[in-house]
Amino acid sequence: MLGLIDVNIHLLIQNIVNGVLLGLVYALIALGLSLMFGVMGIINFAHGDFLMIAMYFSYVLALALGIEGVLTSFITVPLFVVIGVAWFYTLINRVLKADPLIQIAMTVGILMFLRNIALAIWKAEPRGLPYSALLKSITIGGITISLSRLIIAIISLAVFFALHLFLTRTKLGIAIRATAEDTETAALMGINVKLIYALTTGLSLGLVALAAALILTFTRVDPMIGTVYGLISWCIVAMAGLGTIKGIIFSGLIIGLVEALGMSLISPGARELFIYLTFILILWVRPRGLFGVR
Amino acid sequence: MIGVSRESIIKALSTRNLIIIITVAFGILPVLLGFNRYYVYLATQVVIFTSMVLAWNIIGGYAGQLDLAAAAYMGLGGAITGLLLCYYHLTPWIGMIVGALAAVGLAVAIGYPTFRYGLREVWYALSTISLVLILQRIYWLIYGTTEEYISEYIPYRWSVLYLRFDRYEPYYYLGVAILLVTLWVNITIRRSKLGYYLRAISEDEDAAEALGIDVRRYKLYALMIYAAIVGLVGGLYITTTGIITYRLFDPDYSLSVAVAGIIGGLGSIPGALIAGVILKTVEEYLRATFGAVILGLHLMIYGILLVAVSVSKPEGLAAIFTYIEKKLLKKGSG
Repeated sequence: MLGLIDVNIHLLIQNIVNGVLLGLVYALIALGLSLMFGVMGIINFAHGDFLMIAMYFSYVLALALGIEGVLTSFITVPLFVVIGVAWFYTLINRVLKADPLIQIAMTVGILMFLRNIALAIWKAEPRGLPYSALLKSITIGGITISLSRLIIAIISLAVFFALHLFLTRTKLGIAIRATAEDTETAALMGINVKLIYALTTGLSLGLVALAAALILTFTRVDPMIGTVYGLISWCIVAMAGLGTIKGIIFSGLIIGLVEALGMSLISPGARELFIYLTFILILWVRPRGLFGVR
Repeated sequence: MIGVSRESIIKALSTRNLIIIITVAFGILPVLLGFNRYYVYLATQVVIFTSMVLAWNIIGGYAGQLDLAAAAYMGLGGAITGLLLCYYHLTPWIGMIVGALAAVGLAVAIGYPTFRYGLREVWYALSTISLVLILQRIYWLIYGTTEEYISEYIPYRWSVLYLRFDRYEPYYYLGVAILLVTLWVNITIRRSKLGYYLRAISEDEDAAEALGIDVRRYKLYALMIYAAIVGLVGGLYITTTGIITYRLFDPDYSLSVAVAGIIGGLGSIPGALIAGVILKTVEEYLRATFGAVILGLHLMIYGILLVAVSVSKPEGLAAIFTYIEKKLLKKGSG
């Protein structure tokens, strides 16, 4: 009897650890989306598919150069920043004043384009990196921790901290926050709103590329993967509410814990069920998200 | 267009005439397609899709709620119709009604708390697309990935009772019937108290509430009507394709329906109708032309078109119609 409880508590702690690590990864994936939505109010449905494309870029680069997948982020992050800025000036700029629904239609078009170009180039079967020095695990007091996930969780926290410093301590960061707060006043204060928007889009996609290079160490990529990550990101952003970075971490942790505990304690097949049910229930209680101000 | 007076154009474009033109156009389409099996099948898909876009217009266009649960209601209606037919040999005529009622039940169960707790905008959109994935997962947990073929259970080649036909024309005309009913529902709502309330809600929900409109109740009515039609369409979809699978609950289908409604111009009946027909036809045309050449090429082109349309004419197709209409009238009167 005592042994049973012991085992269960053990299992519980193991799942909580897994959930926390997973949650921090999810939070990092959702961070770029949160920035774009929070600063520009753009509802980007293609977020998950940008992540998918970035994962393919990392995959191809890692194989071609024979380097660790994580290291490809030194190439993909700047590349995606440029793609983001270009995306803003060519397309987003033209729908900025349009109905939000038109903006959604535009991002859905991007989503379809990205997903199907990936399908055309890499076909439907999942691809993953064949090797990674990070694919080990360490055991502390009977709790097994995957090294790759631990490192990603630490990087994720570091990125959150760095972004927090950037937004509160630097001139550019303060300009971004001012623009998010009140676009017109920010423009009157001499802030180049268009430039801020372009940089925000670039930053958003840069973060996506970073997340992509990191998660490729433990997961595989296929053209349809964008749907799952896109929706999980949106769930996290919507749950967190607008204008809070802390909220993103907490929401990410909630989703991660629900997924890890639900899958191991109830049924591994019902992953989406737990995530989305939790999401809907939380929205019923807090329609503007857990930490939302608006 | 010289010599055509403004009045005569407005008269010609009257609702009754438009409906007659639409009915005749859809009615003779199979003849124009030479009763080609494949083309009629595609036409059926177009009609089914367009009915859903028109139904979406009620919740998305009039009430202004970005609903992405079309595939949930469609899948539920379809799965119920199909499974009742396969396992209990219940005629789809009743199955479709049961499916539509189940969709309404789901709409009330989800819509009541959603509107009660004031979910709006992107939060509403996300909770509705989550519903699609929840139902997909539930179906998957119960029935797994097995695909049920209706033809294995109902081996008739031609049966009006079981809606089994070896041609697509009967399905096509059933689809046209549902489309016309949906069109009629749209027009009726537009002219009714409900329609005015819904448009007030869509303009400014708080102001509508301040004016004494029971916002929650009327949004729920719109959702129920939409779910009923989409559930019914799902039943027809299942009998047409004959395959029941968890893939019915497809979030991308939900997105396509909403996007067509948006591109058509929110709340515009001709816009929704034409956007539905054009978008689905273009998609199927691209699939037929490029689908076999390179995997996914047709949807790639479709995506580019979608981006081009939303960037160039942000107010949707309806704006283009208003523009053409204005040009015509200018020339006519001048």
